[in-house]
Amino acid sequence: MSEAALPVVLRVPQADRASTIRYFARRNPRMILGGALVLTWLALAVFAPFIAPYDPIKVNPTDALLPPSAGHLLGTDDLGRDMLSRILWGSRISLSVGLISVGIGFFVGVTLGLAAGYLGGTFDLVVMRGIDALLAFPALVLAIAITSALGPQIQNAMIAIGIVAIPAYARLTRGQVLAVRSREFIVAARTIGATPLRVVMRHIFPNVTNALIVQATLSTAFAILAEAALSFLGLGPQPPLPSWGQDINYSIRYLPNLKWWMSVGPGLAIFSAVFAFNFLGDALRDALDPRLRRSG
Amino acid sequence: MIRYILRRLVLMIPVALLVTVGVFILVRLSPGDPALVFAGEERDPNALAAIREQMGLDQPIPVQYVVWLGHLAQGDLGRSFQTHQRVLEAVTERLPATLELGLAALLFSTSVALIVGILSAVKRNSIVDLLSTSITLAGVSFPSFFLGIVLILLFAYIIPGRIFPPGGYVPLTQDAGDNLRRLVLPAVTLATASLAVNLRQVRSSLLDVFGHDYMRTARAKGLRERTVIARHALKNALIPVVTLIGIQIGAIIEGAFITEQIFFWPGIGRLAVQAIPSSDYPVVQGVVLISAFSYMFSTLIVDIVYAWLDPRISYEAATA
Repeated sequence: MSEAALPVVLRVPQADRASTIRYFARRNPRMILGGALVLTWLALAVFAPFIAPYDPIKVNPTDALLPPSAGHLLGTDDLGRDMLSRILWGSRISLSVGLISVGIGFFVGVTLGLAAGYLGGTFDLVVMRGIDALLAFPALVLAIAITSALGPQIQNAMIAIGIVAIPAYARLTRGQVLAVRSREFIVAARTIGATPLRVVMRHIFPNVTNALIVQATLSTAFAILAEAALSFLGLGPQPPLPSWGQDINYSIRYLPNLKWWMSVGPGLAIFSAVFAFNFLGDALRDALDPRLRRSG
Repeated sequence: MIRYILRRLVLMIPVALLVTVGVFILVRLSPGDPALVFAGEERDPNALAAIREQMGLDQPIPVQYVVWLGHLAQGDLGRSFQTHQRVLEAVTERLPATLELGLAALLFSTSVALIVGILSAVKRNSIVDLLSTSITLAGVSFPSFFLGIVLILLFAYIIPGRIFPPGGYVPLTQDAGDNLRRLVLPAVTLATASLAVNLRQVRSSLLDVFGHDYMRTARAKGLRERTVIARHALKNALIPVVTLIGIQIGAIIEGAFITEQIFFWPGIGRLAVQAIPSSDYPVVQGVVLISAFSYMFSTLIVDIVYAWLDPRISYEAATA
């Protein structure tokens, strides 16, 4: 009697990334909170033209240096400009510099890391020495040096912060490529004739995405802080454009007169935006990348 | 060990050269003609040509780089376009102020991080622990310039009695008391970011160590809790903290850029920040180079100390 071959279907539960995130979100309220804070800031930036009660640039001498009141919730500056409106409009600059510079660092860093890790040899050696040279500078000093050389403009601040962000992505990606390069599934892909580009994009890159998402969130926090520091030093957007760092620098001259609202509004804006991305990044790290999880 | 140090030094050479190339290129990227900036009001073409020749700007870029590197090797960082003072001299004049501020900040952040970090790890989930995790969370996101302003507002203007002055500097040799009074606010401002990082590290590496078998053994031997923590836990937990502190020493100049600007502290950071708007490139270039080299050097020292403190780290693996 011949045994009928029973069709055995083993259903291996496939945990895709979306469901992993949902699973952890239930157990990780910090991620929900961080995400909500980030989304709030993004929404404020996108809708600033509709929410902001006043023109952020128009000078209005009759309203100069008013303390917070119902008419001006966060007060006005010495030119009578509404601080709340300047903060809301300023968020567009801060967040766009943050996101675009992280985009630059991400794109260049990941490409270099993938290429260096996969190709190896002289290319790897040259690229990694270049990355070492970038890491030899303290991050903020490098950003200041690049922006002061290129000229104080928003675009140049984005480029400078983007360049500063490159090493982290390049090293992270290269390390991951080296870890999986000789694994069976890569060898198998090569054996069946996959092109190097396909091997890198389809088989290697997915292994590093989780760590990259975490890195991107945390480096957005750094980028917003760095943009604020550059603007504080006069290397970001130029007056009369509303910018958090620059507004804080401008407010220093009014400290002896106790016009505290000129500093406190923009300061809390920077803090809460940076905190939102740091908080979300930490929560995502715990959820997506257990190897990087901190103890305690 | 000596072989390891030598290897690290040799590996540093190409990186250091790349750093000099990077700094050189940055200045050449700058818009504007350095000769025009140097000349000030002078617009006579012949005089400008003479200045260009004197500054070597008529040479091809690679030649200019080699000449500049040669000067650099002899400690010559050029002259300030504005004051015509030697850059090295300007930096050395301001170094004591920056070092004083940096070391005071480091002392503050390290001692607070150790005390609060140990307490919060030992008494987990207590009020101290809650305080410590809040400082950690807020400290890394709080912009130092905003903290500086809040401190000035509170201690120089709002709280009566003007406990601390809003800024300025008096040399230690001139009036030690006044010097220290003016040091407090900038040092606390500068220390906050590193305090958050150090505190997190002290707490998490102590908690890591607490789980090890040798801790249980030490307690089982009947040692007092204080001895267990001081002798067995701290010694092992502090290795990563030493690394962090080493790197922070190298990054003192980085923090000085912002803090010195807020508090009118006449150090290296303020020198560079004031040179930026007037396109005084030799000064910016000099300060950036010095800060990069001190950062690289401290990273090297940290690696060596790390390998020495923790014999499990193989020199071969560390250099690979």
